[in-house]
Amino acid sequence: MATGLTLKELSKKEMLLTAGHRMCAGCGAPIVVKMVLLASEYPLIAANATGCLEVSTCISEYTAWKIPWIHNAFENAAATISGVETMYRSLKKQGKIDKEIKFIAFGGDGGTYDIGLQSLSGAMERGHDMLYVCYDNGAYMNTGIQRSSATPFGADTTTCPAGDVIQGKPQQRKDMTRIMAAHGIPYVAQASPSHWMDLMKKVRKALDIKGPKFMNIISPCNRGWRSRTDDAIMLSKLAVETCYWPLYEIENGVTKVTFKPKEKKPLKDFIKPQGRFKHLFSPENEGMLKTFQEMIDREWEALLKASGAE
Amino acid sequence: MNKKLFMRGNEVIAEAAIQAGCRFYAGYPITPQNEIPEYMSWRMEEAGGVFIQAESELAAINMVYGASAAGARAMTSSSSPGISLMQETVSYLCGAELPAVIVNMQRGGPGLGNISGSQSDYFQAVKGGGHGDYKLLVYAPYNLQELWNLTMLAFDKADEYRNPVMILGDGVLGQMMEPFYQMPYIKPALPEKTWALSGCRDREPNVIKSLYMGEGELEFRNSILQEKFRKMKEQEVRFEAVGVEDAKLIVVAFGIAARIALSAVNRLRREGVKIGFFRPITLFPFPANELLSLAGSARRFVTIELNAGQMLEDVRLAVNGKSDVLFYGRTGGMIITPEEIYEDLQRLRVSNSGQ
Repeated sequence: MATGLTLKELSKKEMLLTAGHRMCAGCGAPIVVKMVLLASEYPLIAANATGCLEVSTCISEYTAWKIPWIHNAFENAAATISGVETMYRSLKKQGKIDKEIKFIAFGGDGGTYDIGLQSLSGAMERGHDMLYVCYDNGAYMNTGIQRSSATPFGADTTTCPAGDVIQGKPQQRKDMTRIMAAHGIPYVAQASPSHWMDLMKKVRKALDIKGPKFMNIISPCNRGWRSRTDDAIMLSKLAVETCYWPLYEIENGVTKVTFKPKEKKPLKDFIKPQGRFKHLFSPENEGMLKTFQEMIDREWEALLKASGAE
Repeated sequence: MNKKLFMRGNEVIAEAAIQAGCRFYAGYPITPQNEIPEYMSWRMEEAGGVFIQAESELAAINMVYGASAAGARAMTSSSSPGISLMQETVSYLCGAELPAVIVNMQRGGPGLGNISGSQSDYFQAVKGGGHGDYKLLVYAPYNLQELWNLTMLAFDKADEYRNPVMILGDGVLGQMMEPFYQMPYIKPALPEKTWALSGCRDREPNVIKSLYMGEGELEFRNSILQEKFRKMKEQEVRFEAVGVEDAKLIVVAFGIAARIALSAVNRLRREGVKIGFFRPITLFPFPANELLSLAGSARRFVTIELNAGQMLEDVRLAVNGKSDVLFYGRTGGMIITPEEIYEDLQRLRVSNSGQ
């Protein structure tokens, strides 16, 4: 009997990522992970790419994970879980195991969009029965806020610092969710911890589908975003409401927007509370702000079109 | 008078590289060397050079391969796990005889290890971490002045030998701050890069490759490389020796371990103990002949390293059984204290003189 996705029911379930981990106060990642783990009705095995989540949840001799958990080098979470999952299938075929177990890999945007893209693409194409979850905070926060290919246009990072010449990151972020969808895998979704019900429904759906699945989940980082520690959920909500981070899923090639804001808020509502975009609000960068808004508009229009809504 | 500055080790390397004419840097974040790409990201812009943050260490070292082939003074930096990822292309650089400067600010290993200073990549650096018969010229600075000087020298030597040069530092050197003199860069006379892929109008096209399939072709290429490494052994050995002449015990250490060991050695010498200090500055070529000339049955050596005993093997090879070679070291990013070494050396001295 499945646990209902209500706060009352969920509060009775065991937390599979315990308190005592060393993630920063106000970090979005452990919230995301807890939601993902809580949504599952199956026993889970997780692989973790190197990153904040990995280093902070397995401080030597301790672990915050109440599930079997494996870490490997930065670029290898998808490959590692591929090996684990394949061995599981083999054991199952040999009749040595009969439990229904699900496999998840967690990676940040660095380990997913950049250095881990090759192994992730390989795992998706081979068709392992796994869910890959990217917690996307838009930079290499673990090593000191260097840009990643998920870093949004205009953001200030330590390797694309806003100064007299460069005004933050000059490039557009990579659309990882659509790249994963282009693998033709059965399920791809984008989610946000602000919309927890939507997020958990997607996880549940993903785990019930056989084959490779990918979820991209926005994860505010107050250190890197230069925002207040208590603004994580507010910012992830604004990301959705400004259509900076639309909530949607692509199931067997069919795109569905799972939350459409009644009124699309201007992008600046989302970026204004973040110090990494501070320079964009100086008068001479007005053009950049406009370009950024246009990028978001274009992506949103394309998504609506793909979903058949417009 | 040269300008005296107070900077962080990683930034010293970055600034020295720029002043030595490096105009191409590609890198990827990894602790404890992030200050290098961070510094380069704005400083290269000022210097009119190129900074690229790659999507992985693999990409970074291959960008260096490309830039070097085009004739640029190119550099990358990383720390242990990232350097491991680069090994394939390090071998290619050597095979194709391309100059490059590679900085390894070592951290504790193996595996993901930790982010503390360490010296456990000695074997990888000096024995050729990738495939094939090759060597890197390896410098092991032990203070920020040397970081400055040797980084500059590394670019000259890379061009001179058309071979990658490695700066083998560690997390401590990278993170620490101390004053140093900003010695100006004086470019030596170096041959023109006539081999570079710089556009072949009015000349024959150049070819840069490491693939040699013809009968005996690759062996011939290897003989050229070996000749180059032999020449390095002849001309590039650098070391520092203190009080070795009448010493009964000689401490051999490189990099940050040498700096720590030197404190203990100096203390013992002040107490009248006949103890010497020998510090290889080049790890390849290794100052083997110099160590051999110091060896003898009345003298013992102790190597001190932040690893399980790697340079130890080269010291033993060098003294060739003529002296006992002992070892003291710590692994896993643990930093030895001068007191620890002092006590250890004192024990050795007692057993040496007494019974």
